[in-house]
Amino acid sequence: MSSTGSIIRLEKRGIGLKIYGALIFAFLYLPLFVVLVFSFSPTKTIVGMSGVTTKWYTELIHDSELLKALLHSFEVGISAVLIALILGTSGAFFITKVRFPGKGVFRALVMLPFVLPGIIMGLTLLIFIKNLNIPLSMLTIMMGHVSFTTPIVMFQVSSRIQRMGPNYRYAAQDLGASPFKTFWYVTLPMIRTALIGAALLAFTVSFDEIVISYFLTGTWMTLPVYLYGMLRFGLSPKVYSVSGLILVFSLSLILLMTRYIGRPSEEGTAKG
Amino acid sequence: MDEKKRIFDDPKSYVRGVPIVVWLLFLVVVPLIFTFTMSFYRSKGLVLEKTFTLDNYKLFFTDPIYSRVLLKSLRLALGVSILSLATAYPLAYMVSFKMVRGRNLLFMMCIIPLWVSYLVRIIAWRSILGNRGVINSALMAVGIIKEPIRIFLYNRFAIAITLTYICIPFVFIPVYTALEKIPKNILNAANDLGANEFHSFINVILPLSLPGLITGFIFSFIIALGDYIIPLQLGGTQGIMFGNLIWSQFGFAFNWPFGAALGFVLFVISVTILGLTAKFGSTEGGFLSE
Repeated sequence: MSSTGSIIRLEKRGIGLKIYGALIFAFLYLPLFVVLVFSFSPTKTIVGMSGVTTKWYTELIHDSELLKALLHSFEVGISAVLIALILGTSGAFFITKVRFPGKGVFRALVMLPFVLPGIIMGLTLLIFIKNLNIPLSMLTIMMGHVSFTTPIVMFQVSSRIQRMGPNYRYAAQDLGASPFKTFWYVTLPMIRTALIGAALLAFTVSFDEIVISYFLTGTWMTLPVYLYGMLRFGLSPKVYSVSGLILVFSLSLILLMTRYIGRPSEEGTAKG
Repeated sequence: MDEKKRIFDDPKSYVRGVPIVVWLLFLVVVPLIFTFTMSFYRSKGLVLEKTFTLDNYKLFFTDPIYSRVLLKSLRLALGVSILSLATAYPLAYMVSFKMVRGRNLLFMMCIIPLWVSYLVRIIAWRSILGNRGVINSALMAVGIIKEPIRIFLYNRFAIAITLTYICIPFVFIPVYTALEKIPKNILNAANDLGANEFHSFINVILPLSLPGLITGFIFSFIIALGDYIIPLQLGGTQGIMFGNLIWSQFGFAFNWPFGAALGFVLFVISVTILGLTAKFGSTEGGFLSE
């Protein structure tokens, strides 16, 4: 009783904080809104915008270079995710189930591609690729993307495995299931949503990636690299419509993702 | 007891580690070693001279231009981290303590921008701060100015505001996770002992959320330190940051060994800072675990 009482008391106060919070929300979302509005504007200005047009979007369909870049992004994203699912899932089982010295260091090393500035990953991979005489191509971009999609999958899956605990596996084994059957019928269904969530998250990151890709791109461009090239000629209506398209697509992926990725505050629901 | 003391498992179980170790070697460790090696080479025009030399590092440490740019980038990163903390911490505090309903929705709303295309967010800020941008158009429509003014774009302010925008979710997540972990009965105890909200914040909440705060601070610091696209897109002539210096060695300057050396300097700085997070920050509530 006293707990709810004090929470409510806390709730009542903090009007100033809530106004500040609302302002930050505006700060977070207004820019995205601006891009969408610009993409429907017949002129280049936003104040005194006369009417709404979808002509910039319909023009995109005729841009074969753009469609090619879009296709490339899907190719890179899907293959980078599939490879990451194999590498990351096996890695997750390795790090949670197998004992070995120096696990902390190993974990930190796997995290590196995600926590280091993208420019470092970009330039080290570029130097590596040049040393091996691999020409810049789809393969090189994919290598760059696998470098950061793998830790995404690995840490999503390993935290799910840790939360599951080993008891289900023991139960299956006591009932006579072989290790393969245990994995296929017990473990895999239990990590399924983590796998889907991780795949969606990894694809979203890959679909938007530019910092590393920019180092590893030759003439074979992904959509963000193509869009970046367009920026050299200023903010054209086409830039806005491509941005609008990417924005809506990313948001849809994110909404889909929230259905699979564990609620961040699951432990926190007991609060209050 | 014996089970727990063993350091190693059945040799067969290590097979599972093969894919991830191969990945780690080929995409992380070996590229880093190659970069380190290249930083001791020399570039003569378009030819790479593979003889050991310390010239690249000597140039970096003796020519004040490079340390000046690095210092400028460090200052920018510090400013961005402080700004991100000043926006994300109160936001996390509000969502965690002031909301009874809709906390999960608000949490999602705070981190969704994290996954919206980085490039689209840069374009958004260019269109807000630009010459024919939202701010200029609004000021002209209201009649405060007659001509578009150029003070918003192509300066350090524009870089800082866009980087802060990028960093907010990265600070929000660890701070929020730390705040959610604070047991509510501790706050009730503080309350019962007569502490008002301000006192329980200073004496209880702030110290307990410090690991999350440090993690968020360091993440935004590293993001801001290494970025080269935002300074290029929004910084104009003031926008040459350390990342741009590195990038240009691989672009038009075509001095890969020097670029490798600069990259290695950034790597050492980043790893040192990240090591500090591992020591003082929280590794839980990262962006990768559920």
